[in-house]
Amino acid sequence: MTLAPAPVTSQPFVPAGTEPRLRVPRKRRIRSVGVGIISAILIVVVVFPLVWLVLGSLKTQSEFLNNPAFALPENWLNFDNYTRAITEGNLGTYAKNSILAVVPALFLTIALGVAAGFALEVMVWKGRGTVLLIFLAGIMVPGQMILLPLFTIYFKLGLTGSLWPLVITYTAIGLPLTVFMMATYFRAVPREVFEAATLDGASMLRSFFTVGVPLVRNAVFTVALVQFFFIWNDLLIALTFTNREDLRTIQVGLLSFQGQFGQVEYGPTMAAICLNVFGTLLIYLFLNQRMMTGLSAGSVKG
Amino acid sequence: MKQVLGDRRTITLLLAPALTIYTLVILVPVIWSFGYTFFEGNAITGFEFVGLHNLQMLFTDGSVREALSFTVRFAIVLTIVQVTLGYALALLYVFVLRRASNLVRTLAFFPIVLPTVAVGLLFRQLFESAPRVGPVNSLLNLLGIQSVDWFGSSTSAFWVLILMESWRSMGFYAILLYAGLVDVPEETLEAARLDGATGIRLVRHIVIPLSWPVLLSAIIFSINGTLKIFDSVLALTNGGPGSSTTPLTMYMFQTSFSYGKYGYGSSIAFLLTVVCLSVTLFIFRSARRDLTKA
Amino acid sequence: MLTRTRKRTQVTSVLGLVTAGAFLLSACSGSGGDSPSETGGPSKDFSYLSFSENTSIKDTLTALSTGECSDANAVAKLKVDNQPQASFDQALQLRAGQTDLTSLFASGNSPQVAKDIESSGVLVDVGAELKAAGLDDAIIPAAKSTVESLYDGKVYVLPTEFNVEGIWYNKKLFADNGIEVPGTWDDLVAAADKLYSAGVQPFSADGTDGWPITRLVGNYIYRSLGADALSDVADGKAKLTDTAYVEAASKVAALGAKGYFGEAVGSIDYTTAVNQFLSGKAGMFYMGSWVLGNFNDPTANQIGNENIGFMPFPAVTGGKGSADELAANVGVPLAMSKFRYDDGAKQWLQCIAKNFGTQSLKDQGVITGFKVDGDVGDVPPLTQTVQDKINETTKTVLWFEALFPPKASTTSQTNAASLVTGGISPEDFMSKIQADLDQE
Repeated sequence: MTLAPAPVTSQPFVPAGTEPRLRVPRKRRIRSVGVGIISAILIVVVVFPLVWLVLGSLKTQSEFLNNPAFALPENWLNFDNYTRAITEGNLGTYAKNSILAVVPALFLTIALGVAAGFALEVMVWKGRGTVLLIFLAGIMVPGQMILLPLFTIYFKLGLTGSLWPLVITYTAIGLPLTVFMMATYFRAVPREVFEAATLDGASMLRSFFTVGVPLVRNAVFTVALVQFFFIWNDLLIALTFTNREDLRTIQVGLLSFQGQFGQVEYGPTMAAICLNVFGTLLIYLFLNQRMMTGLSAGSVKG
Repeated sequence: MKQVLGDRRTITLLLAPALTIYTLVILVPVIWSFGYTFFEGNAITGFEFVGLHNLQMLFTDGSVREALSFTVRFAIVLTIVQVTLGYALALLYVFVLRRASNLVRTLAFFPIVLPTVAVGLLFRQLFESAPRVGPVNSLLNLLGIQSVDWFGSSTSAFWVLILMESWRSMGFYAILLYAGLVDVPEETLEAARLDGATGIRLVRHIVIPLSWPVLLSAIIFSINGTLKIFDSVLALTNGGPGSSTTPLTMYMFQTSFSYGKYGYGSSIAFLLTVVCLSVTLFIFRSARRDLTKA
Repeated sequence: MLTRTRKRTQVTSVLGLVTAGAFLLSACSGSGGDSPSETGGPSKDFSYLSFSENTSIKDTLTALSTGECSDANAVAKLKVDNQPQASFDQALQLRAGQTDLTSLFASGNSPQVAKDIESSGVLVDVGAELKAAGLDDAIIPAAKSTVESLYDGKVYVLPTEFNVEGIWYNKKLFADNGIEVPGTWDDLVAAADKLYSAGVQPFSADGTDGWPITRLVGNYIYRSLGADALSDVADGKAKLTDTAYVEAASKVAALGAKGYFGEAVGSIDYTTAVNQFLSGKAGMFYMGSWVLGNFNDPTANQIGNENIGFMPFPAVTGGKGSADELAANVGVPLAMSKFRYDDGAKQWLQCIAKNFGTQSLKDQGVITGFKVDGDVGDVPPLTQTVQDKINETTKTVLWFEALFPPKASTTSQTNAASLVTGGISPEDFMSKIQADLDQE
């Protein structure tokens, strides 16, 4: 459901900083070759695991164990691993749970974080430095610490047995970084922008929505992207607070093909990882697209 | 003006929801857990007041010393490597690849999307030495060097961990820093270029100071993340060989939940928080000094 | 500015809708399940918390619920829940703290967990309950001996699995190299020498997990110093740093020094180790009888079941222990919560005692600590051999870390690979573990 078609950009594509940067023309060709080489190396370095994953997901256990890591699968049409990942690994349910936990949490973190960042950086009041530091302290505390007290709290509130503990915990865990980063981005916005808005008679709440939020839109998508992968890839919290099979998230599901004595069924595990990775890639491309649109509108430079 | 910017009602409206959730879900449990520092036991056996015993034990426990030393070494090295690589990539995006950077940027970010379990498995296979010879050792063999048991010694395991984490996170830091770099005003750069500043000097004297706030937050973010490294270690070395790559977080988790000593586990967490806090403050301090120099 | 604002509003409202929908759904899935009874009073369920990684116990229980135990199931319906092994102890701790334990549950990664829970007085005394129901003989002697030595002489867990451990060997490789089944440690080393010089890796071992290596140390100690050797250490009557104990570590380390465990043993995981043995690359493999599941799988087993032999860990010449004392364990036994021990749970307990052994062997090929009577169908010959071996065994010994607190176990297992690769000396290995024992 997060994959709802990206809103079509109504305005034509306007490159950022339309005026080309100063460069020396005769170096141009050498430069483009260099650019090509650098890009190619980078792409190879980051993409090869994808190849390894796909190859691995098509191999049987004995191929995986007896043939070299990058050997080609003996049967390219061996989709058994995928079937098992989906049926035995319950990937559908787990993916649904992950989305149900991550999307609301992400939305809340961003919404609350942007508002708090604005209040802490743009607004002027006594004690804001202290509050910002309190938020900052949140990224220093090891996450393992809050588990036992939180478990007790959720239990007493009767929230165990639902996805609520995950939504709430993810929201809170994401806040320190979001607030901290949003404050950093708001700091980069010249104060005069807001002062001008207030001169026009707009209330601060209004200028938060009409001036503040649009100004940091790129940053919002960057932070959202970062947060998304943090909570999507979380294992610790999901393991602790999902006490029923049908509440498991996708990361917990990846442990499905491990045995009690340390056995690992590599094929189905890799197939499950593949499906997971391609799913998140789609989400990533969507969010990335949004980031691009934001950047090309050049809103920060205004 | 001051009045509008300091409007109490607006501040409350914008700040209260975040602050409330943060306080209830993070602050209260943290303080609660720190309270356990003075107790021994766990949720099964019940808790017993032991005063400062746990905190004293931190100083005599050899495992704490080993884990602390690993954690600090790891965090420093990894922060330097991943922020430098990330910054280099971000510079590459902004100044070299420019508008063509979209695809590269997207792809370089990709490794962080992979689940840690998968990355761990991948790097174990890449650096495998037996029963099969992995790609890295094959390359060494080709050059006439004998296979290395990368996970058999603490030094090599340390560097494989650094390599894996840098590979995983450089694209991520690049994106984080990119957002700061695109905001560097074009006019400033041009003026500097007209003054004859190019390449490294341009970066050193113009770009870094201008993107300093974002760079600083990346460093702080990185050091706090790496000091609390957990699942990557679990996936790649599981703390081994022996306990030579066991970070404080892992030792804390084991102590609290596997060894059933929640109070002592909380003390270890407390130690870790103190380390994070002092390192962050140290960076803030030295950063301010740097800025005044610039 | 205007268009941008409108677009933002659109995006926000879409996100808002999605969020609201997700909230509703998560709320629904929340109310779908029954909330845990906070008072810990009787419930209509017979809930079982299992290791996600263990499927045989839950499958057996499920089969029983529609078969032999359908009466009990009518009173209290079986409800299975899973928790991955990695976070299992943590989950038990959290649940026990809230008196939210399930009716039946796997007792955690180390015996210490069950001991802790028992000491807080919330476990059903299974032994007494079975006695009262006249089901005294439901647990076979060997399993009872193992449970009692693990849990301070009490029976508050159900041996839903019973494994003996020993050395599996490749009969063909033994025959090809003229090797007799070793009866003593020295014979074993001689056999390994022969295999090694014939270019065969003598032992396959999982160094990633470590315990398959420390099992060798433990067995050596039992054979040389007798069946009480390790409980003496646990009780503080002896120390692992005593010469006689260090000798065991040295002997195992010596095998490693000669390269008998193969290259980079620390990076060999369980699956790889099994595969090395089953693909004929290694001559011997120390493992528990649960590995029969892999042996009986024809796609994994390339050397053939008929080529696999089983021998107990050999005797040590002049030692106090005997090779008849098989090393044994009860896997992860199940415990029952007092809070949920109602009529339904009572019926289930009796039914499990009567039928679990047969059902498990028939459907899963897993040997349990319960008496087997009735038709079990075709049992693979190798499984039958092991079952016979168990039936003739009355005295068992435990494994190296069985009586150690969890921290000492972790130290032992994480340093095992270093012990055989020479990364740590036998003296240091033992004194590291002893240091953890002294801390208690």
